[in-house]
Amino acid sequence: MDESLVILIVLSLCLGAGCWLIFIWAVKRGQFEDVEKPKHRMLDDD
Amino acid sequence: MSLMSEQTCSHCGTSFRWKAIYGTAEDGINTIFCCRGCQGAHSMICDAGLGGFYKRSDRGILTVTEFDTSSYTDADLSQHIVSDGNLCRIDILVCGITCPSCVWLLERMLVRVPGVEYVSLSYSGGIASLRFDPVEATPLQLFSVISRLGYSPRPYSADQSEKEARRERDDLLLRFGTALFLTMQLMAYSYALYAGFFQGIGGFMKLFLQYVSLLVTTPVVFYSGWPFFLGAWRSVKTAAPGMDLLIAMGALSAWLYSVWATLSNKETYFESAAMIVTFVLIGRLLELSVRRRAMSGISSLYAAAPQRATLVDEDGGSRIVSVDEVRPGDLLMVRQGERFPVDCLIIEGATEVDQSLATGESQSVLLASGDDVRSGCVNVAAPVTVQALRPAGQSYLMRVAAMVQMAQAGKPKVQQLADRVSGWFVPAVILLALLNCAGRFLYLGEDAGTAIMSALSVILIACPCAMGLAVPAAVLAACSRSATLGIILRGGDVIERLASINSTLFDKTGTVTCGQPGVIQLETYCDYDVSSVLQAAASLEELASHPLARAIVQYAADHGYRPESCHDFLAIPGRGISGVLPNNVQVLCGSELFLVEQGVTVPFVQTYDSFTTSVLVAINGRLAGRLVMVDQLRGGAQEVISRLTAAKLDVALISGDHQATVNRIATEIGVTSAHGGMTPDQKLLFVTELQQRGLKVLMVGDGVNDAPALAASTVSCSLSGSSDIALENADVIITGDDLSRIATAYSISRATMAIIKQNLAWAFVYNIIGIPLAMTGHLTPVYAAVAMTASSLLVSLNSLRLMRFKHHG
Repeated sequence: MDESLVILIVLSLCLGAGCWLIFIWAVKRGQFEDVEKPKHRMLDDD
Repeated sequence: MSLMSEQTCSHCGTSFRWKAIYGTAEDGINTIFCCRGCQGAHSMICDAGLGGFYKRSDRGILTVTEFDTSSYTDADLSQHIVSDGNLCRIDILVCGITCPSCVWLLERMLVRVPGVEYVSLSYSGGIASLRFDPVEATPLQLFSVISRLGYSPRPYSADQSEKEARRERDDLLLRFGTALFLTMQLMAYSYALYAGFFQGIGGFMKLFLQYVSLLVTTPVVFYSGWPFFLGAWRSVKTAAPGMDLLIAMGALSAWLYSVWATLSNKETYFESAAMIVTFVLIGRLLELSVRRRAMSGISSLYAAAPQRATLVDEDGGSRIVSVDEVRPGDLLMVRQGERFPVDCLIIEGATEVDQSLATGESQSVLLASGDDVRSGCVNVAAPVTVQALRPAGQSYLMRVAAMVQMAQAGKPKVQQLADRVSGWFVPAVILLALLNCAGRFLYLGEDAGTAIMSALSVILIACPCAMGLAVPAAVLAACSRSATLGIILRGGDVIERLASINSTLFDKTGTVTCGQPGVIQLETYCDYDVSSVLQAAASLEELASHPLARAIVQYAADHGYRPESCHDFLAIPGRGISGVLPNNVQVLCGSELFLVEQGVTVPFVQTYDSFTTSVLVAINGRLAGRLVMVDQLRGGAQEVISRLTAAKLDVALISGDHQATVNRIATEIGVTSAHGGMTPDQKLLFVTELQQRGLKVLMVGDGVNDAPALAASTVSCSLSGSSDIALENADVIITGDDLSRIATAYSISRATMAIIKQNLAWAFVYNIIGIPLAMTGHLTPVYAAVAMTASSLLVSLNSLRLMRFKHHG
């Protein structure tokens, strides 16, 4: 049982690290720069 | 001609009654326009296939401005271009964006310009970033596309401080994101360890979980918490212990203790270390988000100064030169609608000048040869020849900009409550920890390691999350609550400073008063009745652009009168207007002097009164009526004064207007101290003198002439719709027309400080209980974590009470 827990913890850390990398990428790309426009953009037809 | 029915322009959406320009029918609907400019903009939009813009319900009112190509050249604009491979990049500040539709339209129109590769327009900042091929498109083309749509473009280069702020925010966001992600992982391990503490846990599993905790906590403390260590190091160097030092000490000692505990198989405090850092980073991020500046005012001040001047040579010819080439003594020509390029003296001609930039007075003033004019003022009525008095670099606008920058730099710093508290709290905790360590080592005979660890546990207990959250949680609640009440507070330090003020200064025109005249009285003569006078006056004034004219048209409209069409319209600057209505009714509107000149007998002597303005109306050569106008008080003016006075604050009025007018307004709103005739630097001096007497000053103003005083004051407040430079320097912005919100802003800041003090007091209660337990070694990590979470929750909930703050609280 101990081994399975260890594997799960390590696995969750890897998964989290992946999400963290995506987050870094998003900040660097400026995804958080203007949080006002996107919510209006989705209402545009084209 | 009979009364024309009201029509709505297909482009700009304004209602008008003059002869429309008919456009081509599309989709079976006829298009009509109020002017050629609107027609041009409409066909431009439709030709680009973006006619859908007009179907959008959220589109704002557009105004069409003729792009003044003389104000920029490709050479000027090329300075703002950054080359980016084969392409070029330019940032353009677009003014006039009111709705998401504006963004939609501008982005689509700009991307259709040949050579433009990429357009992105930020809705909140109004900044268009464009990438284009310099061979195919020029920046001037882009500028004219924007301005032909009715928006005004300005070259924009983010100044150093702005770039710095953006970098700082991204940095903080990364650190916080990392901390949050790792702390969430950590909490799972911690819960397992808590369970193990009560129910028992296998030795291997406990050790494994502690090592994984160490793995995830270390980056939180040393990467995410790095700003606190830097701040702590700064405060150690300057021997001024602050909040940063407390947090750094708490996080570091919790981490060190836990590493030691892991190695010696004891209970760990990893989650305390990570929680402190994460919670305080939330606070910092929230604080930064309320502090974002709306726009860069000083650069807009430079933009108000014209770049070009028309130089008149000795032989009478004229040529356009850059303002930098204008020397004192040069003769310049300033046409109707242009801004005066430098400070100058009128040599020839007479005109009306809009001096609102310099005096704050919205009403244009009649100036003739011999009068001097400041740069940036607008020539409203007729072309004049002027002589330059000073070079462009020393003109009025540049002097104001320099004053503002100096005042900003010299602004007195108010030490924040949290820093004041930690100023004595940190040394006290260190002292206690050292005493604890020494006592255990010397008297109880414990080994050095255990004694040091016990000292560390004292420090980590003394630094609760509640302490770090006490201020930011209250600030966030106060800022979001006041935003719904129409008050924008720029940052937490503003709240502290606002709560500490003891003197308030108000500008008059545009702040206490609307800055726009309104009709208060209508008298009729020679058996003319109200309706015929008002009808005649409104029909004529409809065609004039003077502020007084707008007031009369507004007054007539409010009373249900519609202007009739009028011909042979003639306006004489500073005097009045004349015109002929249907059925050959001859109408004159204007000053007493104008009517007398036109041969109308005015049977009474009009008393001169600087407070009110009168417009006389004559119909068919006989005096028919008099409209009395006054610059009306803004809503809530009396209320704000009475509430501030009730709160035992000094209130004074400082204005560039005549002393008599200022006195009248002061009496009306109940202010005892009134100072008139003040220039921007006198206002600045007034503020600094009060500050030297030890007073904390709240300055409320709206104009360019208030900007230096606003920059120097302890807290500055502007109203939405004020000049850009005033808004940039404002710590508090009141949206809407209700002045009483200033008093509300003051009471909300007082209430916030009360909440902050309660929060800090709670953090101390926690310490008074926690520190003795830690010193005697009775506090285990599980109870510490529970206490820490409970106190953070208490502080957050207490701060949320501010969300129920009422307007007249």
